[in-house]
Amino acid sequence: MAQPLPKGQMASMPKRIAPWPPVLRAFLWAGIGFVVLAAIAAWLDPSPNSPYLTAVGSVAGWFGALIGWLLGIGGYDYIVRPMMGYPTPRVRTSGWRRYYEYALDHKVIGLQYLGASTGTFLVAGLIAMAMRFQLMNYQPTLFHYPEDYLNAVGIHGTLMMFTVATVAMVGGLGNYFVPLMIGTRETMFPKASGISVWLVPIGVLTISMSPLLGQWSTGWRGYEPLAASDGSGLLYYYLGVFALTTSSLIVAINLTATILFKRTKGMTWNRLPLFAWGILTVSLLNIIWLPEIQATFILGMLDKVMPLNLFNVFGQPLGYEYLFWLFGHPEVYIVVIPALAIWNEILPVMGRKSLFARPIAVLGLVFVMLLSGMVWAHHMFTMMRFSEMLPFSFFTEMISIPTGFAYLAAIGTLWNSRLRITTPTLLVLMSMFNFLIGGLTGLFLADVPANLQLHNTFFVVGHFHYTIIGGMVFSWMAAMYYWLPKFSGRTYSEFWGKLGAIWVFIAFNATFLNFFILGLHGMNRWVSAYPKYLQPENFWTSIAAFFLGAGFGINIIHIVWAWIKGPKVKENPWDAKTLEWQTSSPPPAKNFDVLPEVVGSFYTYGDNVPDPVVIPSVQEQTPGL
Amino acid sequence: MGSVLVFGLLWVVISLLGEWGATTWINSAPDGTGPYFGTASNLGVIGAHAFDFLVWVAVPIFVFVVLMIIFAMIKFRAKRGEKVIDAPKQTRNNKVFVGSWILISILVNLLVWLHPNASGLEQVFAAQLPANNPNPLVVDVTARQWEWIFSYPQYNITQSLNANGQDTLYLPVDRPVKFVLRSYDPFHTYDTAIDVIHGFWIPAFGVKYDVIPGETRVIYITATKLISTEQNPMARVQCSEVCGPGHPYMEANLHVVTGLAFAKWAKQQASRS
Repeated sequence: MAQPLPKGQMASMPKRIAPWPPVLRAFLWAGIGFVVLAAIAAWLDPSPNSPYLTAVGSVAGWFGALIGWLLGIGGYDYIVRPMMGYPTPRVRTSGWRRYYEYALDHKVIGLQYLGASTGTFLVAGLIAMAMRFQLMNYQPTLFHYPEDYLNAVGIHGTLMMFTVATVAMVGGLGNYFVPLMIGTRETMFPKASGISVWLVPIGVLTISMSPLLGQWSTGWRGYEPLAASDGSGLLYYYLGVFALTTSSLIVAINLTATILFKRTKGMTWNRLPLFAWGILTVSLLNIIWLPEIQATFILGMLDKVMPLNLFNVFGQPLGYEYLFWLFGHPEVYIVVIPALAIWNEILPVMGRKSLFARPIAVLGLVFVMLLSGMVWAHHMFTMMRFSEMLPFSFFTEMISIPTGFAYLAAIGTLWNSRLRITTPTLLVLMSMFNFLIGGLTGLFLADVPANLQLHNTFFVVGHFHYTIIGGMVFSWMAAMYYWLPKFSGRTYSEFWGKLGAIWVFIAFNATFLNFFILGLHGMNRWVSAYPKYLQPENFWTSIAAFFLGAGFGINIIHIVWAWIKGPKVKENPWDAKTLEWQTSSPPPAKNFDVLPEVVGSFYTYGDNVPDPVVIPSVQEQTPGL
Repeated sequence: MGSVLVFGLLWVVISLLGEWGATTWINSAPDGTGPYFGTASNLGVIGAHAFDFLVWVAVPIFVFVVLMIIFAMIKFRAKRGEKVIDAPKQTRNNKVFVGSWILISILVNLLVWLHPNASGLEQVFAAQLPANNPNPLVVDVTARQWEWIFSYPQYNITQSLNANGQDTLYLPVDRPVKFVLRSYDPFHTYDTAIDVIHGFWIPAFGVKYDVIPGETRVIYITATKLISTEQNPMARVQCSEVCGPGHPYMEANLHVVTGLAFAKWAKQQASRS
């Protein structure tokens, strides 16, 4: 079913070119690109040790594969050929195939990001299950050598951070909902956005396949100087992260520009939805810090290939650690800011209550963004000189003040509300509970004397899983249930939704509360084998972890079922006021027939509050927009 | 207003109960240092006191938020099947609540930064001054992939080993120990080009410090309890920074013994090496 187009336009549009599915073509072209560039590298820089594939060749080949992949998926048809004067082919606008092709519609791109994130969440989650299976025994069982285990840890962390935690709610929900929420028909740079999403699969594949090049044992942080002498797979860790961060950078630029320039009439900064504020602050963080880590990773890669002696023992080993965490701590706020924004997006709707202290909630997001670049070295208290400990612990403590503003707004909104305890409400409240534990355990880690014991133990692992799974993943699930009627016009089963929520909540806490105790009992990180006295505790932690994995499976199956087969619901089942609910579900290709006009706050409830949205009659708007 | 009173009362009562529980938990440890477990050294005790104080700070905050979540789910719940109507009271701001929240959160954060953080650090720094560590036992700690090597230059021990030939750390109780953390040992050949960061951690001592290639760092620790790996597995030297495939196995046994027993052991070792 092609989208009907005006008659004159239809004639000038050529038929689609791709003779076979773009994904298959992209794989083929990527393979060709790899072989060609690796061959050139082998010819220019022959290695006496290796007949064909060298470190240089595998890097050059990767860039060849990247170019081939992006051209094959649509870059050639939609960007290169039009540049040479050929007409731009039509983009598929209906059917399931459009999700496996180059797309311009921000909703299709958003779902592509969501699909990639969810798939990677499953893969990296299965790796976590394998790790927990290993840790049921104090001796090697599943992973026969520690490097197998360490490589699994590294891939789990890298995929979860760069493909799930920083992508699902930004590239996924952000791309899908920000244009709808601010009342526009498209994003600012749809062409770049259509390409950027295809950097995710190649990034994920690069990281997943990296052990083929040589196992690496550094974990997701790639600490130097271990990285300098570690396996060559690290090259693909650097490059995979480079692809994924480039994707996130394009999303950030696109959504920032969209929010700045594409807001509908009347959408002032004071009326901008909280989720859009969250995405804006996250995107600014991404624009500031992603280039920094990309530069660091490129230097790390060159250091390994050349070597440049930047970060290995002949250079400044700690230099890499500082550069990594300079990005690495803002990264965790990139993860959690959309979650904090989602809480205060959902609670007013479910509580039929005006958002409490909205300016404070927004300021909280902005100040977290500003402070997040000043705390990084608290990851390195055991490495730094004494004089650095006081300032970094100071800023670390202080950042909990603006983070607390999200709680301030949420609690003020809950008070005296008429709270509908639906699955999204439940998940938001659970997320608040979990993130609270993540934050309070941060209090202990920010305390330097205690940190010198807790650092690099399972206490830290528990802490950041509480913030990332407990904060972000629970909020992501809340958002999925909340917006499910929007995605598909169908809804979920309240029974299965609540059961799934309670299931993951109990299993999650049973798993990760144990991590704190394990850490206090002397369980350190990155070990596949550990002293025997820790085995009983680890055993039960693993059992809980398997329940957690099953719980996520139940929720994913339920959401997919509801998406396809769930009962149909009315257009705005929650009676929400924000703009994404003022159009049909699922939204039409161009979002709004007539662009809505905002005349009031989306977050004000109560008697005699006028509707914040006015839909102008068709004549009032410029035709052809 | 009624809800505020009920909530406030519940918060105070449950917080007090929580504090009582936390105190009981902390005092339940044999030495009254709570769930921190790593208190067999002077530095560990500082960390443990910080940890315990933070437990007391965290309890009322935790109770406030969790109680609020539960309270809202019970008190402000819309009844099932009820018509969806807006909440009757639409408070969009409350200067007293917002103002006191911001003020209290700033004060609490300043407090925990000053105490136990800055005050604890002051003790840690003081404990690192050579003047405060008279007559220290010098232990050269060499970390390499994947072995801890301990040498005692004052006792002419180049590498302390147990009967099985494993590296082992013997320390006298209540005597300051000057650990010289380094990644190169003149008595053992080692390719410095592949050197990596290790973490010198004794869980029972409640403290760790990293060994950085190319740097020599000094940390003073005084062991305060007679412990050994055999009776308490927390008493071990463990690498705490991922250092490659051998990382999980980079550990060594620890014995904290009396001064007399240490002198005897040192004499024995010196005669061997």
